[in-house]
Amino acid sequence: MSYTFTILSPTDTPLFTHEFGTSRSGGDGVPRFTATERAMNPFILHSALDIVEEVQWGTSSSSGSAAMYLKHIDKYQNNFISCWITGANVRFLLLTRPRDEALGLGSGGAGSQRGSLAGGRAGLGGNAGGVYNPTSPATEEAVKNFFVDVYEVWVKTIMNPFFHVGNGDVVKSPVFRARVAAAAKKYL
Amino acid sequence: MTPQHVSPKKPPNYPANMEASMVLPRQRMSPAASLAGLPYRRSNPSLHKLFESTASISGSRPNSGTVTPTPSVVSGSVFSPGGRQNGTGTPGSLPPGLSDEHRNLIHRAFVPHVAVLADADADKLIRGKGLEGGFLQLLRPFGESVPGKVTIRDSVGASKSYDDFGIRFVDGNNEAAAGRGAEPRIDTTNTPRTSSSSIRPRRTGGDVAHIEELVDRHLQYSEFNTQDMVSDYLNQGNPNVPSEGTSSPFYTLYLRRLLSGMPMVPHETFAHPVAGIIAISSQSQNPIEEFRKLYNRQHDGDLRLPQWAENDYLRYYVLIHDEENGDIAKSNQTFDAMKRHFGLHCHLLRLKSQQCIPSDDDSVRLPTCEWMPASEELAEIQKRETVDDMTDPAPYLPDSDITAIRTFVRELVAQSVIPNMERNIATLNEQVLARRRGLSGRFMSLSKRWTTFGSSRNSSSPTIGSSNSNYDSLQGFYRPDTPEAQMRKLADYCFMLRDWKLALSTYDILRTDFNNDKAWRHYAGAAEMAAMSALLSPAPLSSKTKMENIDTWIEIASYSYTDRQRSAAPYYALRTLALGLELLRLRSFSVADDAARWASRILENGLVGPIGAALFTERISACYAVRTGLGTLRLGTRRRKAAMWSVMAAETWFRLDKALQAEKCLDAALRLYGINIEHGQGGAVKLPFDQMQSFIDDLRQQILGLRLQNRGFADGEEEGEEGVGEGEQGGEVEEATEAFNSSPRLHRKSLIGAVAPLIDMNGPRSPMLERERESRGLGEEGFQ
Repeated sequence: MSYTFTILSPTDTPLFTHEFGTSRSGGDGVPRFTATERAMNPFILHSALDIVEEVQWGTSSSSGSAAMYLKHIDKYQNNFISCWITGANVRFLLLTRPRDEALGLGSGGAGSQRGSLAGGRAGLGGNAGGVYNPTSPATEEAVKNFFVDVYEVWVKTIMNPFFHVGNGDVVKSPVFRARVAAAAKKYL
Repeated sequence: MTPQHVSPKKPPNYPANMEASMVLPRQRMSPAASLAGLPYRRSNPSLHKLFESTASISGSRPNSGTVTPTPSVVSGSVFSPGGRQNGTGTPGSLPPGLSDEHRNLIHRAFVPHVAVLADADADKLIRGKGLEGGFLQLLRPFGESVPGKVTIRDSVGASKSYDDFGIRFVDGNNEAAAGRGAEPRIDTTNTPRTSSSSIRPRRTGGDVAHIEELVDRHLQYSEFNTQDMVSDYLNQGNPNVPSEGTSSPFYTLYLRRLLSGMPMVPHETFAHPVAGIIAISSQSQNPIEEFRKLYNRQHDGDLRLPQWAENDYLRYYVLIHDEENGDIAKSNQTFDAMKRHFGLHCHLLRLKSQQCIPSDDDSVRLPTCEWMPASEELAEIQKRETVDDMTDPAPYLPDSDITAIRTFVRELVAQSVIPNMERNIATLNEQVLARRRGLSGRFMSLSKRWTTFGSSRNSSSPTIGSSNSNYDSLQGFYRPDTPEAQMRKLADYCFMLRDWKLALSTYDILRTDFNNDKAWRHYAGAAEMAAMSALLSPAPLSSKTKMENIDTWIEIASYSYTDRQRSAAPYYALRTLALGLELLRLRSFSVADDAARWASRILENGLVGPIGAALFTERISACYAVRTGLGTLRLGTRRRKAAMWSVMAAETWFRLDKALQAEKCLDAALRLYGINIEHGQGGAVKLPFDQMQSFIDDLRQQILGLRLQNRGFADGEEEGEEGVGEGEQGGEVEEATEAFNSSPRLHRKSLIGAVAPLIDMNGPRSPMLERERESRGLGEEGFQ
């Protein structure tokens, strides 16, 4: 599985972007985006903000306070997007691209599926075991842990008096990046 | 959020590998060679007429009053029904900013079919007038819109008038033959058929590949035709921003062709004839006998309909009187005899027999058929391409003929077809539906279900398990006299006469019945039409449960149409989804997401070819764009989604070499992005992600290159690539985009409007650009 993690300011400016692969089940932590997917990712993340803005005002499941972790909110083709929103309306977006096998696509590839009409359902209905499910408790928990760690580091970063999120200051700190990478390695 | 599961769709092939896409232009032939190689680039006036007529009909239709009307590029022809479409057809409130163009289209697509059968003499008479297709060809264009208002009384007795009612004239001659091989042949394997020989002019549609090819032709034409450029150039003064409600004319064309020429199939009765015209010429020796002969052929002879179709429809007898060679006294006599024999459903049609030429005094061009199926239009295009005739081959008719035919059609519809349908509805409602709905009917269906259940448990062969049901599961149809078939007919009649309420309730009952009988395709059909009638009915439908119902129905229909192994009918699945998405989009803002979801379902299931994919991608963007959000903060808007899909569409178009369309989509995308980005005051808007910015700029440059190439500038090729190369440096890139933001037309015009053979893509030699760059440089500094 490959991930793109982006922090967006309230004015939709990306402040930090990090790409990584899974470290679970023998993954080496290297993202496996194809060039086309990589070009699409910003578009997908950006378009997910529409949904974020809708979900963030919705009723919260946690009593009293609104939830910061919005869970899986959007999906574009095979890309799943989870979101965490901070009190200052800074959005953490995590885009997950599961491997094809995890989506139930055979090695035959998507190309052969597309033309055949009978194959139309094979992919859609392929809800059997092993398919990536963004709303399964295990996935949600892992993503949540990741976000919690990142949030902690983020809070420390914005405590820096020379750093202004509102001005669209991009996070350049190598420490921050290392921490995010560590959290990613730990949980995803 | 799209709840459906992961699709097997291959990820969009983006030209992020820039080498690949930059090589693309080079592979193409030099313009001169390709000009010779592609027959459809050649434009002769008659061909132009054909393209123009379709494009103008679909493109320049005025919208409902709330939309700022887009100035039509081509003024509609005299016969294009322009002003009538102002949403007067069916009452229904519409969210502001939307045109109900597509709802009208759907209204006009599901109309009664009338079979036309003429004897040899009559056809000879018409052929003498220059119409090769005989009587049918003469009538067809006039059936599409019945002149004047048509009043229809619905099941509760309230009458409503519609002025966009029409009927479809179909061939009574080979209809039966076409109907037997009714399985619509569809291959959405993405190879558009290019060999001209493989296309037979068929009168039935339902072939997605043909539709794709046809729309491709139209696109090619607009791409390579200068006429478009010129009017673009003229519009330069007021760069007008197309409103979101309007859609690309090509999409409308696609939908229209999708709904044209519905094939005759057992599971729906829309294409089954509601009435049949039998026409003979007054030259005939024994007219009454001739009528009887034709009737017998049609009723039980060689022209009989397949056994799943109702054969006892209304017959309408027409005597064609030749004004020049015939004796009117004799014709009147015959007509009186006809009325004595056949009752009221007779008409005496007086036509002139001699051929009319355009230069004649009161000659009128025979209108083009709006609703011809894709295969037929393709054949027509090919015919005109091969003929190097500079004149317009469309036949001309004297004014008196036109008036006579109009009167005839109006009389036929208002006095025979509609009353007959109303009577049928009333009878069926009383005799079949009421019985089924009543206590005994429920009990019957229940007991049937139980016995079916019991027998299938006992019997070893499950195929004949449902011996008790009326469904012939081996051949897959209900006989026309079974209650199910009659109810389907009733529901379809209601649908065609726009009585959505009764239609909906009938389809709903049918749905359960078909489900019990495991008649999957019938089931899908009932679910589809239930959803359509629920969406079309003007009554408000806000309650959550109702919307969920509709969702389920569309889901069921698209699933059952495609996926039951034995009866895959992707054409119908496409129809369900496309109509569903259009109607949902018009319904309200809150369900626009659903509309977009169904549209992406079309793409994911691979129901369309490349052209359709591009069009529907564009459509998804339009669906999202409908959601404008609430209040000043624009909460719940979907602009970013819409913009993303627009970029996708632009990219898809670019890969199909359709520079104009690609550019249009890209402009739309930037407009959508531009609104969302706060700090852009009057121009200098930058996209939030650098990657997005550079992607869009690269795409823009490539499209420009392609455009130049399509215009035939050989030099444009290297220039275009140079532009791309420079685009990576950043500074140039911003400039290009901003140019479009500040004034979408200016930049392009400076390139295209010039006739000079060599045009520098980078623009410094163009004074207009130079000026722009200066002003922009200032703006940029201020911005940063």
